[in-house]
Amino acid sequence: MKKKLKVLMIDDHPMIIEGYKNTLLGENQNEYQIKIDIASNCDEAYDLILSSAKGNAYDMLFIDIKLPPSSDGTITSGEDLAKHAKELLPKAKIIILTMHREDHRIHNILKNINPSGFLIKSDLTSSELLQAFNNIVNGTPYYSATVNNHFRKMMNNNFSLDEKNLKILYHLSRGVKTKNLPNFVSLSLSAIEKRKNQIKEMFSIPKADDQKLLEEARKRGFV
Amino acid sequence: MSLRYICWRKLFVFDFILLILFSCNTNQTDADNAILQNDNFQSYLIIGKDSNYDKETRYNALDKAYKSLNTFDNDSLKVRSLSKLALAFNAIGEEEHYEKLNRKSLKLSEEINDSLGMARAYDNLGVYYRKKKLDSAYQFYYKADGIYQKLEKSQKYQKDSLAFEHGRVLIDLAKISRTVKDYSESDDLTIRAIQKFEQSGNERYIPMCYTSLGIIAKYMGRFEESIDYHKRAIESAKNTDKEKQYAVTGFNNIGTVYKTIGQFDKAKDYYKKGLEYQDYLLEKPKTKARLLDNLAYVKFLENSEDKDVVDILLNSLKIREENNDVFGIGTNTLHLAEYYHKKGQDSLAKMYAIRAKNASENINNNEELLSSYKLLTEVSDSKEGLEYARSYIKLNDSIVNDERTFRDKFARIKFETDELEQEKAEISKENEFLVIAVLGLTALFLLVYIIFRQQQSNKELLFAQAQQESNEEIYRLLLNQQVKLEEGRQLEQQRMSEELHDGVLGRLFGVRLSLDGINQRANDGFTEARNKYIEELKSIEKEIRLISHDLGTDTLTPDVAYIDVVESLISDLCHAHKMEFEFSNDENIDWEEVEDQKKVNLLRILQESLQNIFKHANATEVKISFGYEDGKINLTILDNGVGFKSTKVKRGIGLKNITNRVRQMSGVVDFISNQGDGTKVDVSVPM
Repeated sequence: MKKKLKVLMIDDHPMIIEGYKNTLLGENQNEYQIKIDIASNCDEAYDLILSSAKGNAYDMLFIDIKLPPSSDGTITSGEDLAKHAKELLPKAKIIILTMHREDHRIHNILKNINPSGFLIKSDLTSSELLQAFNNIVNGTPYYSATVNNHFRKMMNNNFSLDEKNLKILYHLSRGVKTKNLPNFVSLSLSAIEKRKNQIKEMFSIPKADDQKLLEEARKRGFV
Repeated sequence: MSLRYICWRKLFVFDFILLILFSCNTNQTDADNAILQNDNFQSYLIIGKDSNYDKETRYNALDKAYKSLNTFDNDSLKVRSLSKLALAFNAIGEEEHYEKLNRKSLKLSEEINDSLGMARAYDNLGVYYRKKKLDSAYQFYYKADGIYQKLEKSQKYQKDSLAFEHGRVLIDLAKISRTVKDYSESDDLTIRAIQKFEQSGNERYIPMCYTSLGIIAKYMGRFEESIDYHKRAIESAKNTDKEKQYAVTGFNNIGTVYKTIGQFDKAKDYYKKGLEYQDYLLEKPKTKARLLDNLAYVKFLENSEDKDVVDILLNSLKIREENNDVFGIGTNTLHLAEYYHKKGQDSLAKMYAIRAKNASENINNNEELLSSYKLLTEVSDSKEGLEYARSYIKLNDSIVNDERTFRDKFARIKFETDELEQEKAEISKENEFLVIAVLGLTALFLLVYIIFRQQQSNKELLFAQAQQESNEEIYRLLLNQQVKLEEGRQLEQQRMSEELHDGVLGRLFGVRLSLDGINQRANDGFTEARNKYIEELKSIEKEIRLISHDLGTDTLTPDVAYIDVVESLISDLCHAHKMEFEFSNDENIDWEEVEDQKKVNLLRILQESLQNIFKHANATEVKISFGYEDGKINLTILDNGVGFKSTKVKRGIGLKNITNRVRQMSGVVDFISNQGDGTKVDVSVPM
C-alpha cells in the first residue's frame, strides 16, 4: 500500500506549481500517493490550512515567501502564513521556497519559522527538489546550499547579528545612505546609528567609517 | 542788496585772482613796464603839485601825467589817479581840467563799478559847481551822499573809514541848503555831518558845523538855541589850532544874535569879548573890522546919539578899505548910511548907501543890496526914490523867486535821484528775485530729480531683489521637479525590478523546474541535451536576477538631482553659445547636506561666470569642476578665452554679484587672469 501524502503548494505563479508537480509526480508516483492542493494567495492558503486542521491535515506545505496579502491585511507573506501553519498544523512539514537569497531574510526565516526545508528557487533544480522532498518526508531537514552557507557564516562568528542589524548592513552595502535607512529599516535614525556603533564594536572596529564597516561585514560574511 | 555786494565781492576776488594769475603769467618786462608807467605818472604829478615851480611847468607836468594815464588799465587805480590829477589841476586854477577829469573819473568808475570812485567824483564835481551852478552842485553832492550811505551799509569798506569824506559832502550840501534858505533841511544835513565827523574821529570841521547850526537857528528864530550852538562851536574848537578863530567869530555871532533879539548890552559885551583877542585880531584885520562895525552898529541901535558910533564905523571902514574887504565894505557903508540917515544928513547917507549898493552888486549880496535899495528910497528925492523902490521890489521878488525856484529844483533833484535809485533798487530787487527764483527752481528741480532717482534706484533694487527671489524660487521648483522626476524614475525602476524578480523570474523558474521534472522522467536519449538547455535557463534566471538587483539598488538620492540640474544648465548654456565644456563633480561632496541657499548661490555664480565668459572671454572651451577638500566645496571655472587685466577691469555688476554671493556663504573667491591667457574663477565655500 502506497503511503498517502497530502501536500499544499502555495505560490502565486501557476507555472511554478506546475514545475513542482512535474517534478514530484513523475518520479515518486510509485512510492507515495501524493494528493496536491493549490493556493495562489494568502486567503486561499489560510482557508485551506484552517479547514485541513479540522481533519485530514496536510503533511507538507510548500510556501512561497512573496505572496499576495490576505484581504484583511493580517497575513502579508508566506512567512506569516508559515507561522499560522505551524500553530494550526504542528505535524506538517514546512518547506520554504523563495527567490530571496539575502542573508537577513534567510536569517529571519530560519529564526522565525525554522522550516523543515529551505530552498532558494534560483539554485533549485528538479533533482534537488526531489532530494529535498525525500529527505523531508523521511524526517531529515533539507536546506539549499545558499542557506547552508549562511549557517556556516553564522557559525564562524562567535556572535550573531539580528535581522535588523543584518538589514542595516545589507542596505548600506547597496549604497543607501545612513540618513535614508529609516525608509528601509523600520527604525529611527538614532536607533540605526546606535546599532551601527554596536556592530562596529562587535566587529572590534570602533570609530571606523561606513566603508570600513562594510569591508569587515563582507569579510565576515554578513553581506 | 547784501547779496549783490557779496557777488561783487566775489567778482573782485575773482578779478584779483585773475590779476595774480595774469601777473604770474606775464613776463618780467611787462611787469616792469607797469611799474615804470606808474612811476612816470607819480613823478609828473609831484612836479605838478610842487608850488616851487611856475604855473606853466606845473601845467606841462600835469599834462604829461595825464597822457601817461592813457597806458593804465581801466581799474580803480586809474580812477584814483584821475582824481589826484584833477585836484592838482584845480590847485593851479585849471578848473575846466578839474571838471573834465572828474567827469572822466566818474565815467570810468561807473564802468568798473567802483562806487567809492563815483562818490568822490560826484563830490569833486559838486565842489566845482557850488560857486557856478548851485542846482548842479546840489545834484552832485546829493548823489555822492547817496553812494556814501550805501557804502557805509555794505561791509565793503572798514567801518567809519569813509565817514570824514561823507561828512564833508554833507556839510557842503547843508551850505547849499542854507544859501537857498531851506533851513530845516540844512539843519538836518549839518547834524548828520556832525555825526559823521564824530564817527570818523577827525573833528576838524565840527566847530564849523556848530557855527553853521547857530546861524541856521538864528534864521529860524530859535535864538537861545543859536547862542548855545555858537558856544558849543567855541567849546569844540578849544585846544585846537583854530581855538582863537572860533572864539572870536563865536563871540561875534553870539553878539549878533543878541543884537537881533534886542539885547544890546549883551551884544556889546560879546563883541567886546571878541575884541579882547588883540594879538589874533592884529593878524586878522577883517575880523577886527567886522567886530568893530557890529559893535558900533549895536551902539547905534541902542542909542543913536552915541558919539562913538561914527568914529568906530569909519575906523572899521578904513580897515576894510585897506584890506579890500568888499563884503565888509558893503555892510559897513550901509551901516554908515543908516547912521547918517538917522542923523538927517541925507546926502551923506545917500553917498554911503550908493557905495553899499555898488559893493553888494559886485559880490551878489542880495540881502545888503535890498537894504541899500530900501535906504536909497528913503534918502533920495521922490523921482529917484521911486526908481529905487521899484528896484527894491523887483529884487525882492526875484530873490524870493530864486529861492523858491532853487528849493523846487532841489526837491526835484532829490525826487529824481531817489526815483532813479529806487528804480535801480527795484530792478536789482527784481533781478534778485529772478536769481532767487531761478536758484530755487533749480534746487527744487534737483531735489525732485534726486528723489526721483532715489525712488527709481530703490525700485530697481527692489525689482532686482524680487527677481533674485523669484529666480531662486524657480530654481527650487526646478530642483523639486528634478527630485520628483528622479523619485518617479526610481519607483519605476523599483517596480521593474520587482516585476522581473517576482514575475518573470518566477515564471521562468517554474518553466525550468517543469522541464527539469519532465526531463528526469524521459529517457529518449536527449536528457543530457535538454539538461544543457535547462542549465542555460538557470543562467538566464541568474542574469535577470542580477539585472533586477541592479535596478532595485539604484538608490540615487535627490543630491544627484542637483548635479543633474547643474550639468543640464551648463550643457544648455554651452550648447546655445556653441562652446565645448567639461564638467566634473567630486563624489565626496554630499550635496544633500548642502543648504538649498548655498546650492542656489553656487548655481548662480556658475551662471554669472558663464555669462561673463560668453560675453567677454571669446573662449571656445570651458572646464567646470566641483571639488572637495577639508570640508570645503571648491568650484572652479576655467576658460581658454582672452582673459583680462585684473587691475584694469572695473568691478562690473557680474563680478560684484559673484563676490556678494560668495561673501554671503562666508567663502572666498579669486579671479585669476592674465591677458590672453584665459580666466580662472576659484570659489571656495565651506560645507
